[in-house]
Amino acid sequence: MNLSTAEQTAREKTVFRDALRLSSPTIPGLIAWGIVTGMAMIQSGLTLWQGLLMTFIVYAGSAQLAALPLLAAGAPVSMIFFTAIMINLRFIIFSAVIGPHFSSLRWYRRLFYGYFNADIVVALFPQRFPSPSLGRPGEKLSFYVGLATSNWSSWQVGSVIGMLLASQIPPSWGIGFAGSLALLSITVPLIVNWAAVVGMAVAGTTAVLAIDLPFRLGLLLAIVLGIASAMAVDQWVEGKAQ
Amino acid sequence: MIDFDYGIMLFLLMLATFATRSFFFVLGDSVKIPPWLQHALRYAPATALAAILVPDLLLSGGTFVLPWTNIRLIAAIGATLFFLKTRHLLGTIVVGMVCFTALRLILN
Repeated sequence: MNLSTAEQTAREKTVFRDALRLSSPTIPGLIAWGIVTGMAMIQSGLTLWQGLLMTFIVYAGSAQLAALPLLAAGAPVSMIFFTAIMINLRFIIFSAVIGPHFSSLRWYRRLFYGYFNADIVVALFPQRFPSPSLGRPGEKLSFYVGLATSNWSSWQVGSVIGMLLASQIPPSWGIGFAGSLALLSITVPLIVNWAAVVGMAVAGTTAVLAIDLPFRLGLLLAIVLGIASAMAVDQWVEGKAQ
Repeated sequence: MIDFDYGIMLFLLMLATFATRSFFFVLGDSVKIPPWLQHALRYAPATALAAILVPDLLLSGGTFVLPWTNIRLIAAIGATLFFLKTRHLLGTIVVGMVCFTALRLILN
């Protein structure tokens, strides 16, 4: 079935609006999470301009929150980069979910669109387009752009509000703790099985015991040992099942 | 003020965002990650977050704080229980901050 250009454009507009409607319930949560991250950035000692640049350039909340204590502790930039990659690794898996839908686009457009593939986008997109082999490319792109626009703008609105509010609030209120709480609520859903429990326990314990290692190497050690332990538990469970 | 080191760090953090989020967008269908690595990657975010959160909650300025005198830890446990019951992000932050503030005011 071929559609005229006008019909095609009309359909893409409808799909874009559908995406906005589908993502609208997530907006308050994203704004709140942005506010907390914006506040945490200022509370950790960044200036307003440093914070604004960070949120608009980096656009990765948990990596930003994780970078702040490292930055405050004077960790080397390589350690901060490594930590950000580790925390963002889930996005590689997300990119494997959404990326194949857009494999017909030029590489620089794929690079650009990939930047906006956040947690909520990847959760909602397959609800409308479950398989890369189905759906019209133009409509899929409109839908994706709709989800991405909603996600990006509500996050940035929240972040800017948080940064502006932070200077009004005395440090003794411990608003930075809200950042830890936000981090906590994205960590808890990752406890999906016993392997994850063991991996996280090993990583947490190692991080505490190795806190005095130079260059925050304890963090690297904790992540590597944590992943290895989780994998070991998985192997053991599989071995028992066979 | 934005100094050179901060600029470098932002550039690297932006690279970290592109390198991960756009990974399979850019590669398309051409490359498949080996199954064992795919498997290991599943646990990377959870262990990385645990490695940041646990010292953040248990230590204060690099030294261990006894759990029953650690108001951040107690508030975090309360917030976790609330989250497990409701799965509500904003509510969890509110509950955690209320617990933390109440304990801080009572104990000071």
